[in-house]
Amino acid sequence: MTILENLKKVFEGKFGDVLSHNNITFFNFSRNSSETVEVKDGNKLVIDISKATEEEKKLVKNILDSRVQRENEAFLMDHSSEKTLKIKENLPIGESEELLKFYKDKLKPDMYKALEASIIIKNTFDGGGDILEMKHDVSRKYPTFGNNLCNLVTRGYFDNHFKELYQSMLEDEDFDISVYQRKVEKIVKSLPYTVFVTRFRSYDELSGEVAFKLDKLKKYGTGKLLLHGLGKENVNTTISILDEYKEDNSVNINLDINPKKTIITATLIF
Amino acid sequence: MKLSQITFSKAARDDILDLYGKSVDNEGFIVERDNPSQRVLTPNGEEIRIEEWGGVRRGSEAFIKNDTFSLIELAKKLE
Repeated sequence: MTILENLKKVFEGKFGDVLSHNNITFFNFSRNSSETVEVKDGNKLVIDISKATEEEKKLVKNILDSRVQRENEAFLMDHSSEKTLKIKENLPIGESEELLKFYKDKLKPDMYKALEASIIIKNTFDGGGDILEMKHDVSRKYPTFGNNLCNLVTRGYFDNHFKELYQSMLEDEDFDISVYQRKVEKIVKSLPYTVFVTRFRSYDELSGEVAFKLDKLKKYGTGKLLLHGLGKENVNTTISILDEYKEDNSVNINLDINPKKTIITATLIF
Repeated sequence: MKLSQITFSKAARDDILDLYGKSVDNEGFIVERDNPSQRVLTPNGEEIRIEEWGGVRRGSEAFIKNDTFSLIELAKKLE
């Protein structure tokens, strides 16, 4: 017997000709109506459970228990139901599933969960969907890094940069996964005051960005700026940019380079 | 698992809670109506504020939250 037939039985005499409707929502009509059952938007059957009798409520609860426990259905608020469907449509598959698999045993569990959500958010955004609420959820659950991680996923840093970082660190003799985890965490948390040194941008562009951010951060900021580069060429570029500040007494530089000189993280403190 | 054709609106939230024998305490958490000092927990052991409540799924009184992370776990279980 269908849900509708069951409910029809419960609210006998109140249904009328509504058998063509298959979406059912529990609503509260407030004081605007004395009806228990209404049809809304032409195709939605709406039931005000607050106006049902105790006997009707008991029967409705039995139907819900049967759907949830025996039929394994999730009984959700309409908004949550829509949100779940949107998430399901955008779960990582194909390339994004592979990407997630790569990080499964490499990131800390919290960061991995945020990465999974961020990939779903990116997929939703790429498909033209609204991502505001989901992004808000990620930021609220992980206030220190959620929003930054979301932005880095959107900009593709997890597709290449953090993979390359892992491969480079793996070559170090004393490699330890916790060092990689700390490095990723530091970069993600520092995003608003980080410059990624990459060969896809000219020296002048990079040097200009460092000068611009330094100026802004001195005025408003955190007192530090992070420069991060991967690969020998980018390490050399980073060192050249840092040379511009070696005579500047207002800036101290903390340098972290791996033994093979393929990973550099420099912190300018001012 | 699948999503039910039956849903409830925000306006009917309290009525549905009532159907499940639950109410909301003065701090906004869902509690057992007959034992208000006992807060309802998600399958992950988290207390649920009324505005965080997403619905019910299979399990012994499995109340779930409506945030993205809870719904990702649900979406992964859907057929």
